[in-house]
Amino acid sequence: MTQSIRVVRALVRRALNEILRVPGAAIPGVLAPTIFMLGLSSVFGKASALSAYHAVDFRTFIVPVGLLQGAGFTGAATGVNLARDIEQGWFDRLLLAPAPRATLLTGVVASAALRALLPGTFLLIVAFSLGVAVPSLLGLLIAAVLVMGLACAMACFSVTLALRFRTQQAAPLMQIASFVGVLFTTSYAPKPLLQDWLRVVADVNPVTRVLEGVRQGFIGGVTWAHTWPALLSVAGLIAVLGWFAARGLRRYSF
Amino acid sequence: MAAIEVSGLEREYRDGLKAVDGIDLEVQPGEVYGFLGPNGAGKTTTVRMLVTLLRPTGGRATVAGYDVATEPQQVRRKIGVALQEAALDLLMTGRELIELQATLHGIPPREVAGRAQDLIGRVGLSDAQERRVGTYSGGMRRRLDLAMALIHAPEVLFLDEPTTGLDPTSRATLWDEVRRLKEDGTTVFLTTQYLEEADQLADRVGIINAGRIVAEGTPQALKAEVGLPHLDLTFDGDVDLVRAQEVLAGFGEVRADTPAGADLSIGVQEGSSAIAPVIRALDEAGMVVGRVELVEPTLDDVFAARTGSHLEGAGASTADVVAAAV
Amino acid sequence: MAAERLDVPNVTDPGFTVRVVLALARRSLRNALRRPQFLAPLVLFPSMFLAVNVGGLHRTTSLPGFPHVDGFLDFQLAGAITQSLLLGGVATGIATALEIEGGFFDRLVASPIPRTAIVLGRLVATGATAVAQVTYFLLLGLLFGATVKGGIPGVLVVYLIGIVAGVGFGAIGQAIALRAKSASSVQGIFPLVLVVLFVSSAFFPKDLLSSPADIVATYNPLSYIADGMRTPIIDGVGSTSTLEGLAAAVFVVIAAGAIAIVALRGRLRDA
Repeated sequence: MTQSIRVVRALVRRALNEILRVPGAAIPGVLAPTIFMLGLSSVFGKASALSAYHAVDFRTFIVPVGLLQGAGFTGAATGVNLARDIEQGWFDRLLLAPAPRATLLTGVVASAALRALLPGTFLLIVAFSLGVAVPSLLGLLIAAVLVMGLACAMACFSVTLALRFRTQQAAPLMQIASFVGVLFTTSYAPKPLLQDWLRVVADVNPVTRVLEGVRQGFIGGVTWAHTWPALLSVAGLIAVLGWFAARGLRRYSF
Repeated sequence: MAAIEVSGLEREYRDGLKAVDGIDLEVQPGEVYGFLGPNGAGKTTTVRMLVTLLRPTGGRATVAGYDVATEPQQVRRKIGVALQEAALDLLMTGRELIELQATLHGIPPREVAGRAQDLIGRVGLSDAQERRVGTYSGGMRRRLDLAMALIHAPEVLFLDEPTTGLDPTSRATLWDEVRRLKEDGTTVFLTTQYLEEADQLADRVGIINAGRIVAEGTPQALKAEVGLPHLDLTFDGDVDLVRAQEVLAGFGEVRADTPAGADLSIGVQEGSSAIAPVIRALDEAGMVVGRVELVEPTLDDVFAARTGSHLEGAGASTADVVAAAV
Repeated sequence: MAAERLDVPNVTDPGFTVRVVLALARRSLRNALRRPQFLAPLVLFPSMFLAVNVGGLHRTTSLPGFPHVDGFLDFQLAGAITQSLLLGGVATGIATALEIEGGFFDRLVASPIPRTAIVLGRLVATGATAVAQVTYFLLLGLLFGATVKGGIPGVLVVYLIGIVAGVGFGAIGQAIALRAKSASSVQGIFPLVLVVLFVSSAFFPKDLLSSPADIVATYNPLSYIADGMRTPIIDGVGSTSTLEGLAAAVFVVIAAGAIAIVALRGRLRDA
């Protein structure tokens, strides 16, 4: 058991090292959600004059979307990095190590959870300095848990793709999935304002529940009614997508 | 008029480093000129200046009578270039690529297909021409590269390390093609880091090191400069070396202090044809030669004599070992 | 035996130049089609963004100050086209950079063709791609109920501005590639493209943008390009926005084209 923890820790450390050693590669991923948040709020900011926003400032409304986008991009990047490791043969070397397969997967996915905090933190610093109200500690904590959870789920998804296609060319597929997952929700507007088709999609999309869970602390108080569906959704996503990733790894090795 | 004329050519980088530091050379029409040197000596930089891809920072060079710095367009019309990395578009098929090259060199549209087929056949790629270049082996890519360089039957052909990394068969094919081009009267400027290649193909060789030409001439003349071929002899049983020296005195200069640990060493002008008479003479005098080795100077010896270091990939002297079956 | 030397035409021969440009353009297009994984995102990302924008914000057309439109989709179409064309410019840059990295670019430079033909060949291909992009979004709009108020002349105006702008964005991509020389650096400008797009009126009326985006948008050529394509869709042909849009697109072509050609010269000097 302690051996497994050591392996996971080593893999996580390697993933984090990349950020420090190749900061140029990490910067776009860190900045993108913030740019997106600033851009969307300066373009569509006046939309919050519509009554369904209940006088919540559009920027405040969109900050949680940026946090989840950071998680989504990080998850996608995890898959792209794995695809690169596969292309370069490093992953095969990893598989030769006498560590359990589940450990390898956990290491890769856990690193995504930690890395997702980076774009999120940057985004919050910018948002707070622009006057977005700071939520309660509980609200921030729940947001952090959900962001890390979604990053894990998206990492599982893109790892599955990486194990299947084994090339970095699958990167757009991973990125588009994280884009769709996060935006086809109540990202831009409260549910009553959505067109019918998008309302249906948002209802089905579990990320909507996760988003509402992150958003509650920013636009009002934290309630159990918004929290448990969010936690349940993210746990469900990790379970399902994690199963696919594990299956992908089993098929890869044989 | 020389096909290539270079005087005081220089390329200095922003940090002051001179990749090419004032070289002079002249290549006559129809000549195959071998440009030999280790990695980083300035071979590729020189070629890139001669083919108008890089502007010289000093000196002057003309190719086919045109100045590379002031008349680059005219130069490009006269030259064919096969660059080191076999710069090809991996997404295109061999045929598409060579037809594009034909258009770029102004081959009239009705002649494009025919010329392309000619060249594809000549380099043995007919069966692979509809496949994407990305699927080609290294040797196939080099051959395609050469075919592209020849599409307009250039007066002067530049080959930058054409066989680096190739298997022996592909290398032989390329060598044959270069010999054929020479028969056609094409001037060939060939850079290489392989001694054998320069020795086999080049009429004249220039050796470059650290941006300067350190030796130039025909391969034979260059090698003669560093010394004659010699035979290293080792005898079977006890032999009176003083007597042996007397027997051999008529053949050439004899030395007893041989570097390779043989008993005697004798300089022979005529190389391998001296082996039989030498051994016969010793045999008649009752001395049995157990081992005879013909040691010939190589271009690496020339390089070593001028620079104090060896070319990469070259061992010490190549020794032809002839077992004494006498 | 001497080989028969072919006489290569001089670069001043205009027929030769045209043939070379077309051959290079054909090659660029064919290669793009052989790498659909690079081509698809050009329309996929803007399509999804279009869907989310329309699905989430269709009610904003009732905001005071919003121009009269049949629907938010009609309004957003020009924004999606602009975004797609910008991504096309990035793709052109990446293709050029890959060509430089792989060395194929050197081969072009060492052949007896005019320098500008190398730049123009790819731009002609970018223009042809722009036709396909505009067509895709107009059909998508029609499919989901948008209409072009300007009729056939309106459609032609959208094509005209779209093609010129697409070529201009392609020239920007090329200029960056010729300077940066590596595909990954060109890819790195992608977030910047988003920023420039966000501070324009491509997705929302200029009067409704928050400060300071509204001020930047006034000077952003993308605003005029997007509005130039939007007016014939939501209103009709004949307004000054058509001329402004065309002027902005031509400005981008000339400015970026000049930078690309200067960058090409610089590349030859420093290579």
